[in-house]
Order: sequence, then structure tokens, then C-alpha cells
Amino acid sequence: MTNKSIKNQGLTSSRRDLLKLMGAASALPLLGACSSLGGSKELSARVVVVGGGFGGATAAKYLKRSAPQLDVTLIEPNKVFYTCPFSNLVLAGMRSMDSISHNYDELRALGVRVIHTTAQDVDPVSRTVSLGDGGSVRYEKLLLSPGIDIRWNAIEGYDQAAAEHAPHAWKAGDQTRLLRRQIEAMDDGGVFVLTAPANPFRCPPGPYERASLVAHYLSQHKPRSKVLILDAKDNFSKQGLFMQGWNEVHGDRIEWVGLSGDGKVTRVDAQKREVETEFGTIHKASVLNVVPPQKAGFIADRAGVTNESGWVPVDPMTFESTQVNDIYVVGDATLAAPMPKSGFAANAQGKVAAAAIIASLEGQRPLEPSWANTCYSLINPEYGISVAAVYKIQEGLISETSGGVSATDASATVRKLEAEYAVGWYNAISQDTWGTRR
Amino acid sequence: MNTRIALTLALMIPATLAFADDRSSAQTALLAASCANCHGTDGKLAGAIPAIASRPATALESQLLDFKHDEQTRATVMPRIAKGYSDEELKALAQYFSNIDAASKQR
Ligand SMILES: Cc1cc2nc3c(=O)[nH]c(=O)nc-3n(C[C@H](O)[C@H](O)[C@H](O)COP(=O)(O)OP(=O)(O)OC[C@H]3O[C@@H](n4cnc5c(N)ncnc54)[C@H](O)[C@@H]3O)c2cc1C
Repeated sequence: MTNKSIKNQGLTSSRRDLLKLMGAASALPLLGACSSLGGSKELSARVVVVGGGFGGATAAKYLKRSAPQLDVTLIEPNKVFYTCPFSNLVLAGMRSMDSISHNYDELRALGVRVIHTTAQDVDPVSRTVSLGDGGSVRYEKLLLSPGIDIRWNAIEGYDQAAAEHAPHAWKAGDQTRLLRRQIEAMDDGGVFVLTAPANPFRCPPGPYERASLVAHYLSQHKPRSKVLILDAKDNFSKQGLFMQGWNEVHGDRIEWVGLSGDGKVTRVDAQKREVETEFGTIHKASVLNVVPPQKAGFIADRAGVTNESGWVPVDPMTFESTQVNDIYVVGDATLAAPMPKSGFAANAQGKVAAAAIIASLEGQRPLEPSWANTCYSLINPEYGISVAAVYKIQEGLISETSGGVSATDASATVRKLEAEYAVGWYNAISQDTWGTRR
Repeated sequence: MNTRIALTLALMIPATLAFADDRSSAQTALLAASCANCHGTDGKLAGAIPAIASRPATALESQLLDFKHDEQTRATVMPRIAKGYSDEELKALAQYFSNIDAASKQR
């Protein structure tokens, strides 16, 4: 071979490289200016995500858009996901089930492989997840966002069969439909009893928003009916604002009984729709909604990442399990106080974990994490209140760097604005999590 | 020197220099990711809550600082949120969202 031909060959191939690079560079203004959490174009590895709710769907999306060569597999049994956020509006007849449903088409279009089955078990040694359909998938990194499971029988008499008579509706779907039918069928003059658990549990303001919106429905359709909240604690999220709102909007339709007023329910008779409290008071309900004690979804137990509390301790920098390497856990399943168990927090944690997974696969230190949270609650369709916060790591722990609740002296205009922002938030987080536009 | 190697080397230099840059832009992207929960992915969703992508950086920055210092009337959650970030972080966020092409179809 002559020198000349080598040179020519070189030129040809470098020209090809150059063109490839130029092609990549011209795509930069489009791709480079969006939220890539640090993955390089070549990064390829198998990441498995279990759970297609707020935490898992967000993590799968942000993994894939940051590092498109990653093989991202999402395991989720349901083809349609119903959000708990805004399910209280469905109970009040303000929204349809369809309006709180999301699917996985957009995630598939991004290149996420979605398998509709349940993850049954995790073997961290062989790095294998076994699936309900008989198959299995291997991973280099595993992310779990399984949400909550109910602690059946933690309240005497409250088991799966009881939930068919006295729904929890704390996972949205058939339970939401059942509770809605019961509320609609209730006689005017009947009592809606909601029992609220001790901390920690999914969505700290959730029971009180539900009481508010059920009261709103009753005021219009069953004006002689009441709402009774029996609570296993003495304080709850946004309590001052809720009580003020109840006073202003619902008068004495809503009654709240806290722990020291004998509000803690210890036994449920779902067939009779009756509950008994710690000191023996029996309350009879027309509709009984038990929000029971909870724990991390069972797959967290199987993977060995839960501790004696039933929840999952994580490294706050990365949301990697402190007990098992290469398993990251986000969302309601985790111990991440002071962050609440909210969809907003699960989404924010999903992004931090996605970035940490990418950094680790690239052999780099994790980025400095930060999270935000805003939880809106509706007192009625025109009256919104909120709690918001920003979280960062301080001295190795998740700390609130700012935050607070809506002003107590806010005008009706501001309350209405917050109710509108609640809808804006719902649309935005749905788009950000599943890509669904409504 | 072989032209191919020379060219490859020449092209690698900016890539190496870009490394620190990449990391800091990934860091800003992670900071900015929280904004998407209300403003949509990349801040592009317009609705009751406004889109923030493609807006001039100076306008975004001064609005964020106004939120932080309670100088916005009719504000709701933003003053509580803006106080959680340093002025430098707010500036980086403003710059970040102003650089996003609001019209791009990226998911
Ligand atoms: C009434 C109510 C109102 C709420 N309102 C709000 C609100 O306004 N704002 C807010 O931010 N939050 C709200 N929340 C809280 C929010 O719903 C949760 O915090 C959020 O769903 C947590 O996300 P996650 O990813 O941890 O779990 P989820 O969103 O529940 O997702 C878990 C997913 O994992 C799947 N899964 C579980 N186990 C397995 C397995 N073994 N294999 C495969 N898949 C599995 C499940 O099918 C599910 O799809 C509310 C909750 C309730 C109950």
C-alpha cells in the first residue's frame, strides 16, 4: 500500500466522522437544551423500573431522555393508571374516572420497554427480577417505586373482604368507583364516616380534602347529611387552613374528632358499617371510608430493602437503598421525611434517582440533589389551599430550605386562584410523568 | 501526523473541555427538574400556570427575585419556593429555561 492510499483512506474515514459529529452538533440546540441529567450518548446498561406510578414513570422517562442508549424496562401490571390526586374530585362528582386515567403510550414512544405484569421477587445476587407472567428480567440498576400496601388487620376486622363493604379508596381505581357509588346511594341525612390513620401515610392532607369535597357534594345533593372524621392523631397537615375553610364553607357539616377526643378507631365491622374507638365508643356510618395504616409495596420486602418500620431507608443523596446495593427506591415506599408521601415528591425523587443512576453508571459522583413539593387541597371547587417546600441536603440529611402554607388571611380571589393552580398542577405533573396531555 | 488522528485529536479537545461544563449543566438540569411538576417538562406547558420555557432570562430572573423578596402581588406558592434557592441558583434557572426551545416537540 502506498502512503497516498493510506492518507486517502484516512481522509475518507475522518470526513465521515466529521460529518457524524457535525450531525450530532446540529442536533444540539434541540437536544442539548433540554433536561439531560448527565447521561452521555453512548451510555448503555439495563435499568429496570418497577411501578409505573408517579415515581417510577417519571424515573423511566428521565432516564431515557437523558441517556437514550440505556435499556429501560418498566414493569407495571395496569395498562391504565388512575391517579389518587383528583380522585377526591371523582368522589364528589366533579370529575370522571377517565379524566384521572393515564396510559403508557408516550413512555413507549420515548423508547421505554413497558411490560404489563407484576414483579414477584428480586434476587439482588443474580440481579434478577422475576415476573408474574413467568418470565424474568436482569438489571444492572433496579429502581422500585411500588407505592403503598395496606396493613390488613392492623385495625381489627379490616381485611381485604371488609374493603369491599367499607372501601379505603387509598389506591385509585375500583375502590374509587365503589366509594363513589356508595356516596351516591346514601340517604339524605346519612353520615359519611372517614377514619384517618396515624403518621406516616400516603398524602397527609388527603383525608381532609376528601372530607371537604364529600361535604361539598352532600351540601348540594343530600343537605341533611354530615361528615365525621375519626382520627388516630391530634394534629394534621394544613390543619389551621382546613378548619378555617370548613368553618367558612361547610359550617358544622364536618366534625373532626382527634386522638385525645377518642378518635382512634381500633375495630371495624364492615358489614354493619360500624367502628369502635380506643375507649369503646361505637359509631354507626351510612358510608364507611377506612383510610387504614400502610407500609411499602410488598416488592420492597422481597428485595430486602425495608426495615422494621415496613418502609425503606435510603441514602438521601441518591435514593439508593441503604441495605442493598444498586437498588434505588423512590416515592411513598421510602423514609424520606421531612418530604411528604406525595405524588409531587415521588416525581421529584424519581428524577434525583435517575440522575444518580446515570452518574453511577458513568463512574461519577452523584450530582447535588434538590427537591420541591407543593400539595394543593380543595375545600370546594373554588377554594384551594396549599403547602409548598424546597428540600436540599444539609449535614447529610434531607432538610427543608424554605416553605410554608397559604396565608390564613388570603382573599377569596387568592383561594380561587389556588383552586385553578391545583388544576394546572395536575395537568403539568401528568404531562411530566406519563406524557399525558389533558 | 496522519490526518485522521489529527482531526480526531482536534475534535477531542473541546470534548474534554466540555466535561466540566456538561456536569454543571446536568446539575442545573436537575435543579430545574422540580419546576416541571407545575410548568410541564422543560417548562413548556401553558395553562392556569404559565409556561416558562423561551422567556427572556432577565425577565425570569427578576420575577424569581421578586418572588423571593415578596415583591410580587397576587403570588401564591412561588414566594415560599423561591426562598429555597440562592440568587445564583435562581439566575442559573432563569438562564436554563430561557435557552429551551418552547416549540421543540421533544417529549
Ligand atoms: C386521596 C388521595 C389524594 C392525593 N392527592 C395528592 C395530591 O393532590 N398531590 C400529590 O402530590 N399527591 C397526592 N396523593 C399522593 C400520591 O397519590 C402518592 O404520593 C403517589 O401516588 C406516590 O407515588 P409512588 O410512585 O410512590 O406510588 P404510585 O403512584 O401508587 O405507583 C405505584 C405503582 O407501582 C405499581 N406496583 C406496585 N407493586 C408492583 C409490583 N410488585 N410490580 C409491578 N408494579 C407494581 C402499582 O401498580 C402502581 O402503579 C394523593 C393520594 C390520595 C390517596
